[in-house]
Amino acid sequence: MLKIDNLHVRVAGKEILKGLTLAVGAGEVHAIMGPNGAGKSTLGNVLAGREGYEVSAGTIEYKGRNLLDLEPEQRAAEGVFLAFQYPVEIPGVNNTYFLKAALNAQRKHRGQPELDSMQFLKLVREKLRVLHIPDDLMNRAVNAGFSGGEKKRNEIFQMALLEPQLAILDETDSGLDIDALKMVADGVNAMRDPARAFVVITHYQRLLEYIVPDFVHVLVDGRIVESGDRSLALKLEEHGYAWIADRRLAGAA
Amino acid sequence: MHGLPTAALQGPRDVSLDLLAELGAGDAREREESWRYSKGALRALSQQEFLPATALPLPAPLQAQLERTTTRGRRLVFINGSYAASDSDISALGGEILIQHGAGNEVAITFSGADAEPLHLVYASVPGNAATRWRATCRVELRDGRATIIEQHLGAPGADVLGSLRSDVAVAANAHLCIASVSDVPNSVSLYRRTDVAVAAAASLVSTHATFGGRLQRLDFDVDLGGERARLESNGSFVLRGREHADMHLQVRHRTRDTQSAVLWRGVAHERARGIFHGGITVAAGADGADARLSNKNLLLSAQAEIDTQPVLEIYADEVKAAHGATVGQLDPTALFYLRSRGLSAETARNLLIAGFCRETFAAVGNELRAQLESLLLQRLPQEVTE
Repeated sequence: MLKIDNLHVRVAGKEILKGLTLAVGAGEVHAIMGPNGAGKSTLGNVLAGREGYEVSAGTIEYKGRNLLDLEPEQRAAEGVFLAFQYPVEIPGVNNTYFLKAALNAQRKHRGQPELDSMQFLKLVREKLRVLHIPDDLMNRAVNAGFSGGEKKRNEIFQMALLEPQLAILDETDSGLDIDALKMVADGVNAMRDPARAFVVITHYQRLLEYIVPDFVHVLVDGRIVESGDRSLALKLEEHGYAWIADRRLAGAA
Repeated sequence: MHGLPTAALQGPRDVSLDLLAELGAGDAREREESWRYSKGALRALSQQEFLPATALPLPAPLQAQLERTTTRGRRLVFINGSYAASDSDISALGGEILIQHGAGNEVAITFSGADAEPLHLVYASVPGNAATRWRATCRVELRDGRATIIEQHLGAPGADVLGSLRSDVAVAANAHLCIASVSDVPNSVSLYRRTDVAVAAAASLVSTHATFGGRLQRLDFDVDLGGERARLESNGSFVLRGREHADMHLQVRHRTRDTQSAVLWRGVAHERARGIFHGGITVAAGADGADARLSNKNLLLSAQAEIDTQPVLEIYADEVKAAHGATVGQLDPTALFYLRSRGLSAETARNLLIAGFCRETFAAVGNELRAQLESLLLQRLPQEVTE
């Protein structure tokens, strides 16, 4: 589904990703772990098409197409979803209105009929129930005045509603208490599907106790330096990222 | 009259001195200062000859714009400042409203007692064959209870029109007045509005000003919180494009104890438009317990647009809560990216953000008017939001 090859990305003139290679197949859950500043969020932003991220070398292929040719909204319509590390507050824009416009824009792009208000609300109620999100969240402005946990849950709710094929979760666990974390994990697990892939970017192993990944990758200084199964995450938890750095030094020597 | 070019002092038709003396408050120096961002626009007006406007029929497109269900039978129409009885409909006015028409386009409206329905005042600028100007005065007194006034300014395109409306409003103790003022005029219309409001003890004024279009729109909105616990909530916005120019001057005076003001204004300018917001708040000595909040944010949508904002807080009392913030910026690229990443086109995302930016200032008006403001706003955006 997603093939990233030797990706180099510069942000404000500084090289952040330095030859990242990663392949994600349909139905798989990949966890990307790494210390602060390794380039984890850059990866998420590049995949979603944020401006200011200059790809200086390498390729990203998504469903057989060059992802970098697509505008952010085209990527969304093609099934790419980024759950933001810092969801943006948009005062004055109603959550329901925004999500209906977004979903219908995607459906239009895909040649599907747009949903009317009744159909949309029915879908919203279904998804809200699964995620245990209060109804009143829908009547408020997008993320405005939401607590940290509410914002992250709103991201997962948006994901549930938009039903992407490739979902990238950028530190969705940060700032969550254990109950909210479980709720987020339940939301993700309910969406696991042979046709859908997840890239879960996280700093801590904790989330991976609830969202069990098929693969764990360690991103250090713009490259994936270690890949393995979920036991890699446990080792990292035990030894810290310094352990990876030491192993690399040892390997180099 | 320093600062004005000597050319402005020549020629019998040149009325710039008169205009500056006429429009605004205070002495010559204060007027000069308060017009400094709009001096060019005022000078251009003053170099033009305006004949006195005459009573003209209301063009059909304007008739359609002033129909609203909530004010049926409660509508006063003024064409070029003069009361137009045949276009007005006062059949549903209750006994608690007294309306008196005086000489020189003056109307006096007195509310005594609770009144749930809004009163609709329409000021239409209708062009003649040549450039014309009108003047009018409106006095409002609310003696008791609650009242709502919708003030609507509209105009037909054609020859230039310069209108000026002077309003004097008094809100008696414990009374509550809502004023919603919508101005949507073509580029041939210039409008000067001066509104002075006196708010007595434990009384309140909630005002909403929505301003669109116009060659030059100037508002001097002066609110005197003269009674203890008097309260003002002022919401406002302007959305400008082309070469439109709006200059909004607020002056709030906290003169006694425990008075409150909350000022929330938003401005949007694109293409070569020019917007000015001046928010002056004075807390007089002895006005302890005053609470003054001012928020003014502005959005520039093009490199040629300009907005100037001047929050001015003068505090002479000791125990005062005051907060003010003013910004001029561009659309937040992160917010744009957020909306686009969910599937919205760049244009839709942009317009959604702009509409959301202004929408906060519509919170205090009724549903019908709010829907109208939203639709006016969308029409003014670079491209309409596609739903």
